[in-house]
This record gives sequence, C-alpha cells and structure tokens, in this order.
Amino acid sequence: MQTEVPAEDVRAQLLEFVTSLVSTELGPDEDYFAQGLISSLVALELVTFVEHRFGLTVDVADLDLDNFRTVNRLTGFVLAKTAG
Amino acid sequence: MTAPLAIRATADFLPERLAELAELPELAELPEDRRQACRDLGIDRIRADPRYDAVELAASAARTVLAETGASPGALLVIGSRAPERLMSSEATRLQALLGLTDALTFSVGGLGCVSITPALLVARGLLAADPGLGDVLVVHGSKPPTPRRYRHPVTVSGDGGQAVLLSRTGPVRVLDIAQATNGAYWNLYTVDFRDRAQADWSEECADLRRYSFTLAMEGRTRLRELYHELLARNGMTAADVTCHVSQNLSAGALRFTEDALGIRLAAACASNLASYGHLGPNDVLLNLYTAIANGELPEGSRAVVFNASPVAAWSLLLVEHGGTEPETHYL
Repeated sequence: MQTEVPAEDVRAQLLEFVTSLVSTELGPDEDYFAQGLISSLVALELVTFVEHRFGLTVDVADLDLDNFRTVNRLTGFVLAKTAG
Repeated sequence: MTAPLAIRATADFLPERLAELAELPELAELPEDRRQACRDLGIDRIRADPRYDAVELAASAARTVLAETGASPGALLVIGSRAPERLMSSEATRLQALLGLTDALTFSVGGLGCVSITPALLVARGLLAADPGLGDVLVVHGSKPPTPRRYRHPVTVSGDGGQAVLLSRTGPVRVLDIAQATNGAYWNLYTVDFRDRAQADWSEECADLRRYSFTLAMEGRTRLRELYHELLARNGMTAADVTCHVSQNLSAGALRFTEDALGIRLAAACASNLASYGHLGPNDVLLNLYTAIANGELPEGSRAVVFNASPVAAWSLLLVEHGGTEPETHYL
C-alpha cells in the first residue's frame, strides 16, 4: 500500500540521498546526468532507493531520463507514481 | 517440451602474448576521467596477439576440441566477428576449409554482440531436434575487437580469444533451457564508423552515454529479473535451486550490477577471468562456466544460470546442469 508523502519531504529525502550518492552538493534543478555523475551502478542504487523508500516500481515505460535527471524532476515522478 | 541439448566439450584458445591494461597505448590519448574509468574496470591484462585474426583464433580452439574428442561434427556454426577481415568473403566457409569439415552443414549466426552465443545454441538445438542423423554441432567464435583501440568507454576492454563448443543431445553439461529477449530501440547505441576512415581512426563510439548508463542499464535490470523468474518458474525451480550464477566479463562494476540487480552472487570465476582476459565477446559466459566447473563452483548434479547482455540490446539466460543422475528428466 502506498503512503502519501508531502512533496517537500520527498524532495528533501531525494536531495539528501542523491547528494550522498554522487558525493557532490547539488541544487534541486541540477542535472546530475549531464555532469557525468551517474554510472549504471549509481543508477541502480538511485532507482532501488526510489522504489524501496517510496514503495513504487520503476517500470521500463518509466525509464525516461527526464523523470530522473534532477531532484525536482524525480520528485515529480515519485509524486505521480504514488498519487491516488 | 524442450529438445535436448548438451555440451560435449569446449576449448578456449587464448594466445600467448599479453598486454597489461596499464600499458595500453590508447590510455595516453584518453581524457583523465576516461583513463580512470578504464583503470577501474577490474581488468589487469588481456591477450592481444596480432599474429591471429578472428578466424584463426576460432580455428585454433576448434582444432583442440576436435582433437580431444575425435568428433566429426555434421554442422559448423560460426558466430561471425564484429569486423571481418574482408567483405563479401565467408568466415564460415573459411573455417570449414581450415578445419577440413568438408561435409559439415556450415553457416554463420549472430547479430547480437556478446549475446550471439545464444542464437548459436538455439540453432544447434533446432538442428539436432530436426535431424535425427545429425550427431554433433560445432559452434566457434574468434573474439577480437573491431578497432585498434581495445577500450570501449565506459564498458570494457576487449581481449583476443577463440572458443569452440561441441554440442550434441547428451553430454556432461546439459543446456536445460534458454531464454532470450531483445529491444531493437538500441540497435545503434554503439557503432564503429569505418567508411572513408583509416583503420587507425576506427573507434567504438556510444551515441548517448546517459542512455547507456541509465535507460539501457535499468531496462537490463528489469529484463534480466523477468527472464530469471520466468526461467526458474517454467523449470519448477526457485533461486535456492541454483548452485552457481555466471555472467560475462565486462567490468567489476557490471558484475556487481548483476549481483545487486538480481540479488545473487556470481561465481568467483567471473572476476578472475575478467582480470586475466578482459572481454571476449560471446566467448565469455562459457569460458566462465567451465572455469567455475573446474574450480568446483558447480558440482556434478547441480545447476547454474548463465547471464548475458549486450548493448544492441539483447539479454539471455541459460539454465545448465553439470552431470546429474536422472538424465530422463532433462529431455522432457
């Protein structure tokens, strides 16, 4: 069962995790993919974190880079996937 | 019902000449981030021997397996090289001539990069099922990178090696099941532009590194998980029934990715062969499987799942059994 989490909480959790994951201070609109910070292993950690923390499944159809490239975009993705 | 397929014997030909990764000449022309990525692959050295082309690597392995078994295969399946020495000519019939397999049904298979071993096994299984008079099928491949540069950023470093796999309906390693999936959306993610270019300028280029490292990687996670669960389910197995998991030689990161994505541990043979030989294309997985067997990681009567993936994009799994006491159960 999915639990609704406030957007600010989602953003804060994602920002904390992504910053730790890439070992770089990031703003919520900074594109960490464009900075070359995401290897396939790091991507796996990111997607696994999102799935486990927010109780959702990232399907192949969700694998649009635009859903993941910044913390704000990822927040929107999480909120959309957990809505309703 | 799956037709029987078994590996009677394999041979790998790994040429003598070594190239230490740290001494690869192309490292000097890489920017620092790529140079470091190359150093972090988990590859110490490769075999790199200009005396052999891909066909000669394959032929050397094939001669060994034919001499050791005394087999006279009725079919020769050649997994084509990524960059043949000549256009228009036939690597398959050249190998036929080199091996003296005059009467063997001979043709090429492939098109899936490192996963091309799987269509070869599928074809062999089909031929053996269709023709009761066919005894053995020989699958061969010579792995040599398509360009003078051996580093494919950020994936792997390719070495030289030949492999020959003698297949029949029975044998000490049974191929119980085969699963394969492809997604044509990635057909040109990695390419080598060669027309109107000197060979010295050929290079394996990724059209979109973010697509490789994220989109394809995450699709690979999903595909391998789905194929794994389907393979086990249709064979009445759970993950606990799998003694050994084997994958290909791309990088230490790729091995960890597979382990983390699937919640498994890969055979130690994978990391050791990766370090010693680098990537050998379609030859990786059976080299690693047989090293695992030699190391005692797959005792007789136990089963392994073999994972393979290619950026073209293709994914495949093999369910294999080493020996066993109830052969009738494998031919249902």
